[in-house]
Amino acid sequence: MLSDLHFAVERNEIVGFLGPNGAGKTTTIKILNGLAFPDSGNVCLFGEEGGMRAAARRRIGFMPEQPYFYEYLTGEEFLGLCGHLNGLSRGEIASRSRAMLGRVGLDAAGNTAVRKYSKGMMQRLGLAQALLHDPELVILDEPMSGLDPVGRMEVRNLIRELKGSGKTIFFSTHIVSDVEALCDRVIMLHRGQKVAEGTVNDLVGEEGVRFVEVTFSPVPPRGWLEAAGIPAGNGEIQGGTFLLRAGNVDEANRWIGKFREAGSQVFSFVPVKKQLEDIFLEQVSEKGGRAAIGGRGEQEEAGDGREEKRGR
Amino acid sequence: MGDRILSIASNTFRETIRNKILYAILAFALLIIGLSWFLADLSVGELTRIIADVGLACIHIFGVIMAVFIGITLVSNEIERKTIYLILSRPVPRWEFIVGKAAGLCITLALVTLVMAMTLFVTHAGYGGVWETGILLASAGIYMELVLLTCLASLFSSFTTPVLSAIFTLSMFLIGHVSGDLLVFGARASSAAMRVASGVLYYVLPNLENFNWKNEVVYGEVRSAAVLLFPAGYLLCYCSAVLFLACLIFSRKDFR
Repeated sequence: MLSDLHFAVERNEIVGFLGPNGAGKTTTIKILNGLAFPDSGNVCLFGEEGGMRAAARRRIGFMPEQPYFYEYLTGEEFLGLCGHLNGLSRGEIASRSRAMLGRVGLDAAGNTAVRKYSKGMMQRLGLAQALLHDPELVILDEPMSGLDPVGRMEVRNLIRELKGSGKTIFFSTHIVSDVEALCDRVIMLHRGQKVAEGTVNDLVGEEGVRFVEVTFSPVPPRGWLEAAGIPAGNGEIQGGTFLLRAGNVDEANRWIGKFREAGSQVFSFVPVKKQLEDIFLEQVSEKGGRAAIGGRGEQEEAGDGREEKRGR
Repeated sequence: MGDRILSIASNTFRETIRNKILYAILAFALLIIGLSWFLADLSVGELTRIIADVGLACIHIFGVIMAVFIGITLVSNEIERKTIYLILSRPVPRWEFIVGKAAGLCITLALVTLVMAMTLFVTHAGYGGVWETGILLASAGIYMELVLLTCLASLFSSFTTPVLSAIFTLSMFLIGHVSGDLLVFGARASSAAMRVASGVLYYVLPNLENFNWKNEVVYGEVRSAAVLLFPAGYLLCYCSAVLFLACLIFSRKDFR
């Protein structure tokens, strides 16, 4: 069930829609595309209310989660159908189909029936059909799902290229590393509600330091270490250095002063920051839920709830 | 608009023409039409009538089976396979999708009916030595009925499951061939309310007997093509109403 969900996507942004399975990501995306209807609220696309209208959809490219195609068509025939439905001319369809198939690495499989495609090839064809008509806004539902590491890297690169060519990209995922690698902004969704929104840096924050690792060299005398009162488990000798874990920067600075007095110098200073995944898990656990992050293949649970959302 | 409907219809035609069940039913129908030759040999009296009678009944029954059982899956298959998301997320109004799907199946049924009708036409001529054009006219009537059933199947499949759609469409097929009786029996009712109700039902339910002139063909009362005019008008009006309703329901369908 979606509830009290507001967000905006600015032009030429990559926005990640992050949430565990069943959070309502796919339902939200279906509402954006006019495939589902909110009980209340509205979608505003390209600055105009009533985003489900055909004029707005002409400017959107959409790839559903684990897309299925007409198995009896070849990749090129399917793109031809999509092109016709988007109002492209025959010439545009022919040239853009070839270009898109090449762009997603399916140029050799254009004349192969879709039923012979692997899962990864289907995903690539899904991307090709979403980009065929040169949309301004690209909405992708779990675009990396089912891809091998090479395929995932290619999709990431493609998304970056799209941003480079001025497109706006909104994609859902439950894989945090995809968001960290790609997104200008993140919207976190859990149980149909937005739990956080911002850039990765905003969300992780300056105060997001989990602990600080400081190494000192040379290692101070054993007697001094025992007398210094370093909490158990927070320090250890590693070769010719001593590794100390301080809870925060201030504590680390205090220890640095003490170690210097003992004749030991700072060899390295590493603040270990929180990862987006830590933030996400915190948000989810605060809401009392269980997160299924990084899994794949699960279907979104379709909530029967209400929705209010603003897109651009 | 026209291009998009044509694209959807053409894609539906490609889909339905590849349906193996369609070929199984067609093969069975052609076999029975062919066998009517031998059936006529075993009969007494007007032998060519047997061929026309059996053949037209065969075209009718197997055509209905094809229209109903392919028609009810037209929309549900798209939803089940999620291919509908790739169509409706484009600038395609939902009514164009419904009309395109129904049109695609109608093209397939036209082809299949034509194959069956031509087989019967040739079989009949081969046996009796007469080119009976009434067979083609009667087949045109059957085809019109199939178009109407396809529209009804599209309507039912826009809001319910394939099984219920099949039950509803087959019920309409059965009722449609006796709906004329509603008017006759309703007129004899003592209650005015019953007379009004039977009249309303008569006009709401399809009258498939409007497309049935098989007996006239069998008994040699060959009609001119003018006989198609009234049924064609009726078909146009009825199908427009049914498809309008289907589009209305489908336009609010939520694909969560």
